[in-house]
Amino acid sequence: MANFTGLDWFWAGAFLLLMVGGAFFFYRLARRSESDFFLAGRGLPWWLPASSVFSTHTATDTPMWVTGVIYAHGLRGLWYTFFAAWTAIASFVSARVFRRSLAYTQAEWQELRFGGLGAELLRGWLAGWQVFMNMFILGWVGIAMGKVGQLAFGWPVWVGLVVPTLITAVYTLAAGYWGVVMGDFLQGIVAVFAIVLVSLVGVFAVGGPAAVSLRLVEIGEAWRLDPLAFTGWLTGNFPAAWWLTMLIIAVVGGFGMGTSIDWYVEAQRIQSARSVRDASYGLWAGGAVTLIRNSIWAAGILAFFLLVPNLTSAAEYELGWFRLGFELLPVGMIGVFFGAILAIHLSTISSHLNLGALYFTRDLFQRYLRPDADERTLVWVGRITTFVLLIGSFFYGLMMEEITQWLIFALWLMMAGIWLPNILQVVWWRFNAWGYLSSWIANLGISWLVVWVLPAFGVFPPLPEYVQFWFLMALGALVFLPATLLTRAEPMDHLVQYYVMTRPIGWWAPVRREAQRRGLLVQTEAPSPAEQRRPLIRRSWTPEQADEWTREDWIAIVLSPIVFALLMVGVTKLLLLQLAGGVLTLGAIVGALLIYWVIDPKLRAVSHEYEVKQARYLEELERRLRSEGPTRRGGSERAQGEDI
Amino acid sequence: MERGLATLIGMSIAYVASLLGMGFAYWAWRRRRREGGSEEDSET
Repeated sequence: MANFTGLDWFWAGAFLLLMVGGAFFFYRLARRSESDFFLAGRGLPWWLPASSVFSTHTATDTPMWVTGVIYAHGLRGLWYTFFAAWTAIASFVSARVFRRSLAYTQAEWQELRFGGLGAELLRGWLAGWQVFMNMFILGWVGIAMGKVGQLAFGWPVWVGLVVPTLITAVYTLAAGYWGVVMGDFLQGIVAVFAIVLVSLVGVFAVGGPAAVSLRLVEIGEAWRLDPLAFTGWLTGNFPAAWWLTMLIIAVVGGFGMGTSIDWYVEAQRIQSARSVRDASYGLWAGGAVTLIRNSIWAAGILAFFLLVPNLTSAAEYELGWFRLGFELLPVGMIGVFFGAILAIHLSTISSHLNLGALYFTRDLFQRYLRPDADERTLVWVGRITTFVLLIGSFFYGLMMEEITQWLIFALWLMMAGIWLPNILQVVWWRFNAWGYLSSWIANLGISWLVVWVLPAFGVFPPLPEYVQFWFLMALGALVFLPATLLTRAEPMDHLVQYYVMTRPIGWWAPVRREAQRRGLLVQTEAPSPAEQRRPLIRRSWTPEQADEWTREDWIAIVLSPIVFALLMVGVTKLLLLQLAGGVLTLGAIVGALLIYWVIDPKLRAVSHEYEVKQARYLEELERRLRSEGPTRRGGSERAQGEDI
Repeated sequence: MERGLATLIGMSIAYVASLLGMGFAYWAWRRRRREGGSEEDSET
């Protein structure tokens, strides 16, 4: 149990007051429109979505999970957390495509990408899934907070589940996404401070950075310092095949949309950025800070292993980071630590409350029930849905705790069977709604059979996770590829419209030719002698040139995951004062600067025209609000701002 | 509760929620078609 003094309670209370009080500053902004309540008016500079990406990637159970894999696997456990590196490529590919689409949600994007009945069914399917999934996640992380409250104060689990969530609901209901993103910024700062502080306290409790490495070597656990300590190609509890699979899932998955459960949350951050450039940098920086966070945690957990070795129960060692904070921090600082835990929790809860409400309001209520609803009605529906999700999460958290275990399975199967379709829908023009829908439905059934039913009946033994992934992907392909090829391609009119709007990467040649034939794209003429002397890295772009995918994009795409990997491993080793850490971190910094130098002029050109048009639209919106008072406008934002 | 059963219940709820969403979508699509709009007339 934590020893809380008056000063500790002061820090924790002050933080909560700041969170709730801050919401009232943004109440007026949130009530302006649906766009404000759910996307902060699409006007955020990159660092706000970045802090929000980081905060939402840091849930209450994240310290437990990261602690668990590092305690069990040493530094090679960092690769389990490398799934966040989907943002490396996504920042320069799918974020760019998605931001240009102007879709509020992934469900809405399905209807822009695909057409007809298939697209409509997909939108409904994904909306239902996301409303439910967000409520489930709320219950899941709520239970994690309940357990922390029990560890720290001996509270019943329901107290930690209900009380912080209710506090979060106050500012989420009042200020919508404005409250979420501003809260995430403050919470991100507090969380980073606490993560660094507690890890350093842990490391120095062992005797300092060098002592951690030295003592691990002395007790014969030096392998824990090696991030590539494989147990064989296919054998042991960390085979190279598993590492390679995790790497491919994360990195290549960045070409797609929805290849990670986090995509759905970050899609909202991407749309809330004020331009394509801000969306790209926001996602990239958020992903990078998330990986650095894991590195800092890892150093602290190695220290925890030395302080409390030989724990065999995951339930015990997963609480290692919390124990470091509550047991080692001095009186007065424990309150700051608890404030940071609250920060982590509040940012996750607020994000999922607002996101679940967004899917219901935008994709179910507005799309299917009241297409003509005015802005005020939509904001209120958003608020009511937020409240219903809140109550639902209590139900799941308190009444169905064991069932939340299935969520882990659901996340895994989402990775497996629909991983490839999630990429194909972005990069292949011929992939259609029926192919994608069939992959979802088949994936749920096939996964359950392969992971649970067939092993239970002895048809084959339980498979290693990396085998499960490739097996499920292959079985899924046997369903979605025929479903795609045996049904018609999406109507060319629809594809051309989508292509011109989003300019996706990949195999889109027939659609591109049709768009050019219709005069919707500038024809690429034979390069002039001046253009033939194109520099290796072009740093001056017209918007039309910047719309094309060029070698500059590919440099960013290739370098970005390498930078992320160097950063993740380098920072941990640097904290342990290993020379390799300095070299790897320096390499990551140089790589990041190179990416910026190569891609920034192009992203600026892509974003420039868009920013001008959007600023004009937002000014107009503000002018109308000032002259008309409370919003009573009908129709969608896109309908009114269709020139954006 | 046995883990397999918990998973089955959880997945069933997810299926029902997704199917409900899809049902809404189909109902709305049918309504729009009856009212004479084409499939491609959506604003989004």
